[in-house]
Amino acid sequence: MGLIQRAIEAAGFPTVSVSILRDVTEKVRPPRALFLRWPFGHPLGEPYNLAQQFTILRDAFEFLYAASPGEIRDLPYSWRRHTYSMPTEWKL
Amino acid sequence: MDNSLRQRITVLLAKAFTQWPVLGRLWSKVSPIARSTDVPWTPIAKPLAACRITLITTGGLHLRTDQPFNMDDPNGDPTFRVIPSHAQQADLTITHNYYNHADAGRDFNILLPLDRVKELTSGGYLGGLTPSHYSFMGHIDGPHVAALENQILPALLGKIRRERPDIVFLTPA
Repeated sequence: MGLIQRAIEAAGFPTVSVSILRDVTEKVRPPRALFLRWPFGHPLGEPYNLAQQFTILRDAFEFLYAASPGEIRDLPYSWRRHTYSMPTEWKL
Repeated sequence: MDNSLRQRITVLLAKAFTQWPVLGRLWSKVSPIARSTDVPWTPIAKPLAACRITLITTGGLHLRTDQPFNMDDPNGDPTFRVIPSHAQQADLTITHNYYNHADAGRDFNILLPLDRVKELTSGGYLGGLTPSHYSFMGHIDGPHVAALENQILPALLGKIRRERPDIVFLTPA
């Protein structure tokens, strides 16, 4: 996936991704990635958990403006042990 | 080794990785991926409320009416499928034998958050969605890597250039 992200960014479109395998992401070096130590198949969390899904989207959008090239940000959410609340601040 | 045996081993490994994520992380530590020396970079130029977004996943999602990804090739499938922004849960399915996608099959938003970005657009927080979104199946090996770089990615970039998103958001399986 990192190859695809790098090609899109190189073509002039800002990209941000979710990473589930940090070591692979560190080698491929996409422009911006959020790392989640979560099970495969759940990059935005659990089905129908809107607060969780919006939290990851909010963090991704915020990171688009804040990241430096090649930065990987470790998100602090532990799978299922975190209580998600609906993000309210979207003005970026 | 014949293809069917290789394929069975790949599927078993993938199931093990899903069951025990630590195996996936160990594999990723020792995988022979070359480290890139550069990082491509395009700064984001607009406020979020003016940005149009394109979503991409490598989770094997596709329209039920579209051709499924090829799971018989041990080197994977480098092609992609277009998912229109108006796609609904009932329109979509997942063809991917290498991870447990039961949850994503119930709510595709955990892979491709189309409904969530539509809700953000309705709320005025996001500028909108491009008409097309894209899905790969993630497993791309052997000769398919060159096909991805030389044929598939140029085709994808052609489509993206026509729709000119301000943000591209990518998720793995």
